[in-house]
Amino acid sequence: MYRNARNNFAILILPVMGMALFSVSVFAESSGNSPAPSYVATGNPGAAKAFNPDVSVNFLGYARRGSNNSGQLIGRTSDVHDGFTFQEAEMQFFADVDPYFRANALFSLSPKEDVGLNHAVNPATPTGSPGFGLDPEEVFFESINLPMVAFRGGKFKAALGKHNTLHTHAYPFVDAPLINQDLLGGEGLNETGVSAAVLVPVSWFMEATVQGLNNNNAVLYNSANSGDITGVVQLRNLWDLSDDWTLEITPFGTTGKNQYASTSSLVGSDLIFKWRPAVGGKYNALIFANEYMQGHIGGNPAGENLGGIASWVQYQFAERWWVQGRGEFEGMNHSAGLPLKRKQSALLGFYPSEFSGFRLQYDHLVADNTTTEHAVTLQWNITIGAHPAHMY
Amino acid sequence: MKKISLTICALFALNLLVLGSPEAQAKLNVVTTIQDLASIAREVGGDNANVDAIAKGTQDPHFIEAKPSFMTKTSRADLVISIGLDLEIGWLPNVVLGARNPKVAPGSSGFLEVGSMVQPLELPTGKITRAEGDVHPLGNPHVTLDPIRAGEIAIVIAQRMGQLDSENATTYMTRAKAMQKRLQDKTKVWQARVNKSGVKKAISYHKTLTYFFDRFNIDNPAILEPKPGIPPTAGHTLDVISLIKEQKIPLIMVENYFDPTVTNRIKESVPSIRVTVVPVAVDGAPGINSVDDLIENLIKTVEGK
Repeated sequence: MYRNARNNFAILILPVMGMALFSVSVFAESSGNSPAPSYVATGNPGAAKAFNPDVSVNFLGYARRGSNNSGQLIGRTSDVHDGFTFQEAEMQFFADVDPYFRANALFSLSPKEDVGLNHAVNPATPTGSPGFGLDPEEVFFESINLPMVAFRGGKFKAALGKHNTLHTHAYPFVDAPLINQDLLGGEGLNETGVSAAVLVPVSWFMEATVQGLNNNNAVLYNSANSGDITGVVQLRNLWDLSDDWTLEITPFGTTGKNQYASTSSLVGSDLIFKWRPAVGGKYNALIFANEYMQGHIGGNPAGENLGGIASWVQYQFAERWWVQGRGEFEGMNHSAGLPLKRKQSALLGFYPSEFSGFRLQYDHLVADNTTTEHAVTLQWNITIGAHPAHMY
Repeated sequence: MKKISLTICALFALNLLVLGSPEAQAKLNVVTTIQDLASIAREVGGDNANVDAIAKGTQDPHFIEAKPSFMTKTSRADLVISIGLDLEIGWLPNVVLGARNPKVAPGSSGFLEVGSMVQPLELPTGKITRAEGDVHPLGNPHVTLDPIRAGEIAIVIAQRMGQLDSENATTYMTRAKAMQKRLQDKTKVWQARVNKSGVKKAISYHKTLTYFFDRFNIDNPAILEPKPGIPPTAGHTLDVISLIKEQKIPLIMVENYFDPTVTNRIKESVPSIRVTVVPVAVDGAPGINSVDDLIENLIKTVEGK
């Protein structure tokens, strides 16, 4: 098993190292000098502040009323209960490090959670505020001076589909899709490792990403061997169908050793249409997104399978208003012990500006055709500071 | 997994070959953020440059989405020209980062911000906060709506093109100076026409037309937004109506990427006021193919033609 893990490691790391060797020559060309300690000039004290990182804070909270107070079925990304909840505060710092790298450090202050494959919330804290933890959600550096490739190192959200790369405040709905939560846990696949993302020279946008990460993900991997490496690959394709429409098709997958000394794997794909007209696009837009995932956790004891899909439509009908709907099905090719779930969500969003938003969401979930939960959530989403732009 | 790794390495090697080919160096590949800059760069670059723009002339340049296809376009660029002054702050950083093209990285000779080089207006003084709306700490970024500044921008672009392509530096500068001279000459004629029109005050939806108004000595005592970036409110609209009556303002010019329906309420109260929806960028309407066309159209609007 260990030899296999080492082989996986070599397969992932060799191409990354190859490209890194190339990068060394580019650095040498563009620099001409070896790195040396630098000191900020003191002639203009105000100028020194120009090198401080940009800072932003985003915080989320909600008020909720559900038919099942424990929220065990709805499947939130943090502790769920009726009443008011502080969902998360993200503190983000970002800046260029030097001519070669940029860095991003994002710390998340959120209620402590205990979410497993059946995403049952820690029964010790079914109601009330459970206490908070400060975690490094993403802390990474990334190359900025290399042609066609971006190397990244640190802790970051894996390139495993569109939703896995989103921060909580950028989720299209108040919560993540069920299949993301049940296969990857509340934080998604967000681990420490290295990444290479290559812009493939074709006529449309194609980005090939290969990543090597540790196996700490509590749901999918949780390997006992710290030397095991999880491999992630993704091929993102996006076409401009017209000035108004885009189509994105992104297959992705991951595999690695798990806590049962066996192998876990996950494959999936995004299919996303976006419409924002070149004329009148300030007031109208449409997004139709679909994310499919199929996971396998080997050795528990005979292995577990779980597949699911989330499809959603987001329609902007006025400058500051969105209406959205989502349908989810979880249980494609699923193991007998895991519940089959269906969920529908509807959302009305009001955004006074780019920096504030209020969303009212209704959820209806049916598990194993017997248990039903209804919930209504009102979420607020506030950002202060210099928040970086979101990716398309 | 091995196959995927080998494929990525092969594609990477192929890419290096493409980047290194002499064909790629034949013309300057220029990407601009807005159509106005593309129009200027096309005239300055002539046959020596391929110029492409990201935003359409009908789009609000503050709120362009950073489509990955823009990254593909920018990945092949020798020069990226933007306004700066935070106009494109919400999307250009992602485009440039995603392009993975060191030639156009901020700070390199292939990245040019022109706004700060042409004396921006409305530089805030003192502390500013977002409670004031979508204010630009570095000044109003809609500089290309002043034909004199557009001419200055042509010179700045020619200088940078000349740095990147020294063989044709003189040609770029000659074209830029010709453009600048033409716009200076036309500005005198345009000013005379504005004077003749008798329009001394006008209202716009956003502070997009600040430079146009400033150049042609038209006062802009109010905008329809209560604060920059905030949609009109009923209370603010009533204030604007009072101001129009009080100051006898004859004209409202609504930039064509905004919803003009708020002016219906104003027109009800002040039937004599002229309300016109205007393109404020090259490519913003049929027939607006250059800065000359753009300003000419605005002048005609002021004249009521």
